[in-house]
Amino acid sequence: MVAAAPKRLLLLIRHSPYGSSLARASLDVALAAAAFDQPVTLLFAGDGVLQLLPEQDTHARGVKNIGRLLASLPLYGIEQVYVDAQAVAHYQFALDTAPLKAVPLDSGQISEMFRNHDQLLGF
Amino acid sequence: MNVILHTLNASPASSACSDCLRLLASGDALLLLGDGVYAALAGSADRARLDASGAAVYVLDTDAAAAGVLSRVDGVTIIDIDGFVALTEQCSRQLAWY
Amino acid sequence: MLAPAAFDPEGFLRNLEDWTPDAARQIAAAEQITLTAAHWEIIELLRDYYREFDSSPAMRPLVKYCAARLGADKGRSIYLMSLFPGSPAKLGSKIAGLPKPDNCL
Repeated sequence: MVAAAPKRLLLLIRHSPYGSSLARASLDVALAAAAFDQPVTLLFAGDGVLQLLPEQDTHARGVKNIGRLLASLPLYGIEQVYVDAQAVAHYQFALDTAPLKAVPLDSGQISEMFRNHDQLLGF
Repeated sequence: MNVILHTLNASPASSACSDCLRLLASGDALLLLGDGVYAALAGSADRARLDASGAAVYVLDTDAAAAGVLSRVDGVTIIDIDGFVALTEQCSRQLAWY
Repeated sequence: MLAPAAFDPEGFLRNLEDWTPDAARQIAAAEQITLTAAHWEIIELLRDYYREFDSSPAMRPLVKYCAARLGADKGRSIYLMSLFPGSPAKLGSKIAGLPKPDNCL
């Protein structure tokens, strides 16, 4: 018997790290998928790219640091990380200092990525 | 069939709306929900962007009615919940924008 | 000695700031573990992990982190199991004074 190929999951992350609980929710889904060895791709777009800003400091605010949590994802085997180049250009920051290595994609590449995955979850 | 159903539940001024319209593919289905229904207002610049996207555009009847735009969305397809369910069956994947 | 109120029902420290090496010995004793230099090396590593990533690791990242920091010999689950039997990530985090790893699905 041949095992079914695992479903390829894409998380489209479009919201800022601390404006809602969506960033945490998307992390939880990513970690759950990784725990079950399901391939998961992260795509940051819109305000979601703000999760990749370096120097997030949540100590005084008393909430988990999304930037640092993101930095741990490669240790969970999550390596497919992409970012909407247009959103990065909009906010004018360099990806080389981001807590998580992310590959910039143009609009056409993102549309293609939607089609290369079996399930699409928006956060 | 490789059509994605995009559901848009955010106002036309939002980045959710502009990103959705930029990143969907011609031939995809786009269902407007909640504040998303305002993007269908006939004659608006947002509506022009919708029409230019190449997507098959739908609005959910209850949400369009609540917003008071039911008579102002000529040219898009108005569907009910059963129509929504049928759309999800016709499309291979779904992506929520909000 | 920390009072029982310092711990949650599962024996995890409620406040990170309450942790001291003595607290680690107290928690370990409650788990029938006598801490050796090898234990301390992992405890320090777990605390570094928490500082770096603001979370306690699940098993997989803990193994990878150990391998990266301490070398391939120690970056193996069998090695960690020998020090912290059962569930090394959970037990190690407990002794290191960290919150329970919340990604142990």
